[in-house]
Amino acid sequence: MSDPATTTAPPPVRRKPGTARAATLYRALAGAGSTGTLEELRALALAAHDRLGLPTWRRSGFWRTTLDELDFPALRNRTYAPEATLPAVLGDGPRAGALVQRGGSVVHVELDPTLAAAGVILCSLEDAAHDHPDLFARYFMRRLTLDRDKLEAAGAALWTGGAFLYVPPGLAVEHPFQLVYEITEPGTAQYAHTLAIGDRQTDFRLHEYDLGADFDGQALHAGQFELYLEDAARCRLAHVTDWGSGEVYDVSTAVVEVTRDAYCHWLPALLGGHLIRHHDELVVAGKGGDMAFRGIFFAQEDEHLDVFAVDLHETGPSSGDVHWRGAATGASRASFEGLIQINPGSQQTHTYLQVHSMLLSAQAKLDAIPSVLVCADDVSASHGGTVGELDEALIFYMQTRGLTRPDAVRVIVEGFFEPLIVQLDDPGLEQTIRDRIRAKLDAAAADIEKYALAR
Amino acid sequence: MAELEIRNLHVRIEEREILRGVDLTVRKGEIHALMGPNGSGKSTLANTIMGHPAYEVTDGQIIFNGEDITEAPAHERARAGLFLAFQYPVAVPGVSVANFLRMAINAKRDEPIKVKEFGKQLAHAVQLLDVDRAFTSRHLNDGFSGGEKKRAEILQMAMLAPEIAVLDETDSGLDIDALRTVAQGVVKLHAEQGVGALIITHYQRILDYITPQFVHILMDGKIVMEGGPELVDRLEREGYDPIREEVGARV
Repeated sequence: MSDPATTTAPPPVRRKPGTARAATLYRALAGAGSTGTLEELRALALAAHDRLGLPTWRRSGFWRTTLDELDFPALRNRTYAPEATLPAVLGDGPRAGALVQRGGSVVHVELDPTLAAAGVILCSLEDAAHDHPDLFARYFMRRLTLDRDKLEAAGAALWTGGAFLYVPPGLAVEHPFQLVYEITEPGTAQYAHTLAIGDRQTDFRLHEYDLGADFDGQALHAGQFELYLEDAARCRLAHVTDWGSGEVYDVSTAVVEVTRDAYCHWLPALLGGHLIRHHDELVVAGKGGDMAFRGIFFAQEDEHLDVFAVDLHETGPSSGDVHWRGAATGASRASFEGLIQINPGSQQTHTYLQVHSMLLSAQAKLDAIPSVLVCADDVSASHGGTVGELDEALIFYMQTRGLTRPDAVRVIVEGFFEPLIVQLDDPGLEQTIRDRIRAKLDAAAADIEKYALAR
Repeated sequence: MAELEIRNLHVRIEEREILRGVDLTVRKGEIHALMGPNGSGKSTLANTIMGHPAYEVTDGQIIFNGEDITEAPAHERARAGLFLAFQYPVAVPGVSVANFLRMAINAKRDEPIKVKEFGKQLAHAVQLLDVDRAFTSRHLNDGFSGGEKKRAEILQMAMLAPEIAVLDETDSGLDIDALRTVAQGVVKLHAEQGVGALIITHYQRILDYITPQFVHILMDGKIVMEGGPELVDRLEREGYDPIREEVGARV
């Protein structure tokens, strides 16, 4: 028993966003990262996990993302045996390499031998921590936090498998690297972590698919993704997220860092999940850095989608261009907040953010919230947003060309997304996204028609 | 022979009667001009022929090839062989002209058109109408000039090969060069495909390039005068007022 006379007050706790708030605010990570050995980081994260409750994200008065209905203690990180075949979604097209994680296990890894000989590394993140300790230590969690909320902490503490990609200096890779995170059973907690590095003057494509089978019951995907592009590196990055009809909660953070004269074209396609809460942050951290940040979302039935996309400029001159498009059917709710943040001293930064959404149901709810935080005086930063409905004049126009009303609606919605899809410059991936959007439209056809007639 | 017959057509929109008993017959191969002052009901007639849901037919019938299509949805009319070239074509973002044409052609067929056959037809239409092939890879009407929009309408007409086409003030908003190009396109399609056309116009200038066999004057929701090309000449000389006084019309 301690002597009250000698007991000193505990040292003040250094608070990070979320650690002492009932509601976690929407704010950029803005350079926050985590340092330490893997064991230290896991221990810190585990402590945060034990300390924190499930998070709630709230905007005053009109928006709330909560995990109240998630039975988190009932979920388990499942393991699976290696798998010889690749998921069908990857198609038969040429690829540089592929890694598949099912539940908590990496079940398949393959890499073009010529690329392996050229110094490319594609392996599980667990293997990378062991086999490539210098690269791992230099980049791992450099721009990711581990204690903003309980699920982030759980991911940082408990992740298994994971994906690690390293492209060595000067290498241009024609075909995409493909990563897949699968959830195939209810009751799964998947803690996913991708670390990708494009060294100086590399040029490559990276596609990550986050996919769920159709099942009854709950599952969780707590994902962390980090991509670092060194000087003059170029990457075309895409995420395809579609969790199927299961009650999948996806709470993920992705950060892309673009350094001097580097470029990233990034398109997350969020195409379904019971609850998706994504924080996607693209950071221009070096002079001459440039990025095109595209995004697609489609919410249906009773899905809840909450996207916070950040266009962060830490230095200038730099440039950015953010363009997201989304649609909502059924009784879904979708909120997109896009933040342009220009840090002090980032002069000669030029960036633009736009978000356009299409409401396809009377019960659906869409919020488009562009915002700007500028701390430099020689920059241009602007934003715009629209929320629209189906244009009856356009439907009639197409009907006069022989298209049925459902077909006309499908063409309008597909055409709405098409300007972003074609920018992927990858026919296979483009078709995958088109097919999934078409399937969702077909499923919602009766609801869309009911809404149109009611108007 | 294909025939569009309009019998005693009464149409209203939002409780206001616009057409008050229109009778008109257009056969394949014939060129008709429907002229009339602003507010006479020209565009209402065009939209009603194609089945726009906002226009309510309160009396009368629209018969096409012997079938009563008065209540038929627009896509069925199009598939049967009717076409409307819009006065103000709307943009179709994200859909190229070529893709839209392929969808529209396939909508009228049981089996999708083969890529080679479609390419051949498109090449022919592009040449016939003197359109730049690159035009067909642009998103339909998205960012098009007024002339480009009207040219895209005629290109669709060429590819869909309707039996009867209604051209709703296709000449509006066009400069003289664009007007000549569009009008010559219609003439070529008439010569090549034998399309029947109902050319709706406020002015006579498009008729300098297309000579109609039949001319109808629409006033106050009714066809008040009919004749041949000489009626166009009279309108050019005298305007609508003498005819309005002659027939006792208000609009």
